[in-house]
Amino acid sequence: MSAVIEVSGLVKNFGQTRALDGLDLKVEKGQVHGFLGPNGSGKSTTIRILLGLIRASGGEALLFGEDPWRNAVGLHRRLAYVPGDVNLWPNLTGGETIDMLGSLRGGLDPKRKQELVERFELDLTKKAAAYSKGNRQKVALIAALATDAELFIFDEPTSGLDPLKEAVFQDCVREIIGRGDTILLSSHILRQLEHLADTFTIIRRGATVETGTLHDLRQIARSAGRDPDSMSLEDLFLSIYRQ
Amino acid sequence: MSGFTGTRQALLFALKRDRVIIPVWLVGLIGWMAMYVVSYSGLYGTQAELDALYKSVAGNPAVEAMSGPTGGLRSLGGAIAWDSTPALSIICAVYAMFSVIRHSRAEEEDARTDLLLASGAGRLAPLAAALIVTSIVLALAAIGFSLVLVIGGLAAAPSILLALGITGFALVIASTTAVFAQVTTKARAARGLVGVVIGVSWLMRAIGDTSGGTLTWLSPLGWVQETRAFWGDRWWPLLLMVLATAVTVRLSFWLLSRRDIGSGLIQPRPGPAHASASILHPLGFSFRIQRATILGWTAMLCVYGLAIGTIGDNIEGILESSSAFSEAFASLSSNLLDSYFASILTVIALLGAGFTISAVLRPAAEENRDRVALLLAEPLGKVRWVAGHVLIAWIASALMIAAAGLAIGIGLGLVSGDFSQAPTLFASGFVQAPAMWLTGSLALLLFGISSRLTPIAWGLLAVFVLIWTLASFGNLPDWVVDLSPFSHTPAAPAVSVSPEPLAVMTGIAVLLTAMGLFLWRRRDLA
Repeated sequence: MSAVIEVSGLVKNFGQTRALDGLDLKVEKGQVHGFLGPNGSGKSTTIRILLGLIRASGGEALLFGEDPWRNAVGLHRRLAYVPGDVNLWPNLTGGETIDMLGSLRGGLDPKRKQELVERFELDLTKKAAAYSKGNRQKVALIAALATDAELFIFDEPTSGLDPLKEAVFQDCVREIIGRGDTILLSSHILRQLEHLADTFTIIRRGATVETGTLHDLRQIARSAGRDPDSMSLEDLFLSIYRQ
Repeated sequence: MSGFTGTRQALLFALKRDRVIIPVWLVGLIGWMAMYVVSYSGLYGTQAELDALYKSVAGNPAVEAMSGPTGGLRSLGGAIAWDSTPALSIICAVYAMFSVIRHSRAEEEDARTDLLLASGAGRLAPLAAALIVTSIVLALAAIGFSLVLVIGGLAAAPSILLALGITGFALVIASTTAVFAQVTTKARAARGLVGVVIGVSWLMRAIGDTSGGTLTWLSPLGWVQETRAFWGDRWWPLLLMVLATAVTVRLSFWLLSRRDIGSGLIQPRPGPAHASASILHPLGFSFRIQRATILGWTAMLCVYGLAIGTIGDNIEGILESSSAFSEAFASLSSNLLDSYFASILTVIALLGAGFTISAVLRPAAEENRDRVALLLAEPLGKVRWVAGHVLIAWIASALMIAAAGLAIGIGLGLVSGDFSQAPTLFASGFVQAPAMWLTGSLALLLFGISSRLTPIAWGLLAVFVLIWTLASFGNLPDWVVDLSPFSHTPAAPAVSVSPEPLAVMTGIAVLLTAMGLFLWRRRDLA
């Protein structure tokens, strides 16, 4: 298997503060990789480096074997991104926003877009200023899911979505994997991650604490002297953090 | 339990939120007034120097259109009042607008008002607190202005009158803002409408001051200068301000008590479900988000140009009757009116450079609102995106100033029946564009370093305006005058245009823009 994302010893300083302190992350093709950590641990900073929006202070981050800072545009043709807090242009409708974002990569498949609009039940004619948080999130989700990207980077993609739309999102994730594409999914909804993700990376204070499959994580917990087989991802996450 | 329950708590909370902004603004505003006092006392220490100043600018229609009637220039206080009134009135009004919106509509738009009202505050309390906190700042500014003027050695009564006039205009704008905050659901739209009100106030008095004065009385900004501090001391225009404030405050509370929280008089309408082809291109999309600003500025500058053109006939008479101007302008050209139009075009270019800066800095606004990541995570290059905005800003700036020149020609033609000047004035507008581009490129350079530095660009424009004003007195050292790009623009249509300064300025603008883009390419997104 080839690594779609390969991050090693990643460091990012913002002035005096060190946001990332030697973070490692490896995502193989065809995987859903769960990216976990408490608030402020560096998940979004890592993602922004992967998108080439900010530059690493040290270490290495590679997407499809390339440096995202140097070749952002080329790499962005192969990926789609959904941020956790979607801010839109208040005077544009949701429909206009999706079409505009899609046009930057040469246009979206109209059938696929229409199908997603129906599944997520988004009113395309509303101006973005009138959308609720969940509806703004849907705009970014549809714009990303309607692409034919090979890699999807989701940073808390379903915040504000109702449980029905949350389920729609999970179906979409399975369809992406069915096509053989790759997902980096950062989320605090651990039950969701447990169902969807194949492998996990847990970070704390800008550095990787644990990485592996759920089975691997359970082995680690076992060595800590607990009965792991009954443990959910949530239990594991909490036990790793309380160590 | 009245609608005002909780106003005291809301006010204390507003003061706490603004504990940094308020002192910074006050120091800035009062310092600005002190700068006028110090520089005028230094430049015009003797009566002979003041007389010379009076002789050189009094009645000059271009100067009066920019800064107001020049009747008080024979005294130090009158000169300070004349120069400080438009700038400080408008800057105080802009503060008042931001302050009222920040504590009323912006809070409502982000649904923080819901939180406050659910905690027991009356529905009128947030607006009342917004108006009170703004009034407190304006009162402190008035005290500060008075003290600075009196300490500078000026008489107390006219000093207080000037301070009350400047802050009184801002108070009218504060209460007008309270009305517009009820009309739109979006803080940005409300600020835009109040911006139009401020702009129209300035425009009406500019036209009024150069055409006999009727329009001046329809403008609250005209009321400030009609107090004639230091050259007549009329107190009664202040009553007009009190009256206008009372009416608009009453109206705003009446509107607020009759509408749903979160709604406005104008409700957002649904829009198209699919994008039109025009925004399916990065440049088209950038144009779309700039479009309203471009149209607004173009309209404002063209109305001003049109108005100036229609009074062109009168101006010729005024200019010819004053030997001082005949001499000053005759050195430039045989045609007095052309010299006058050249300096009006500079005024319009200085105003229009405000557009250039805001348009060039649109990416900074996008960055601050956190919309960039969504856009730049698509296959759209950072540099290409910003360069697109710069291109739109440059083209729009040039077309806008040329359109304003054309509007002068049309205005002139409407009155005289002779439209032959219009093409020349249209072309003369373009001559002003390189100075606007250069100003914009300075803004882009700051953006390339960091979004946080971009407000400095506005400070630079304020310096260019100050240099233009002082240079028209002929009292500034050449090297200071040369600092402003607008000093290097040939005075078309009065003189034949030599291409060198325009080429040099355009070249520098391109270079600075390239540097800004290079730095932006290398820096992190905020």
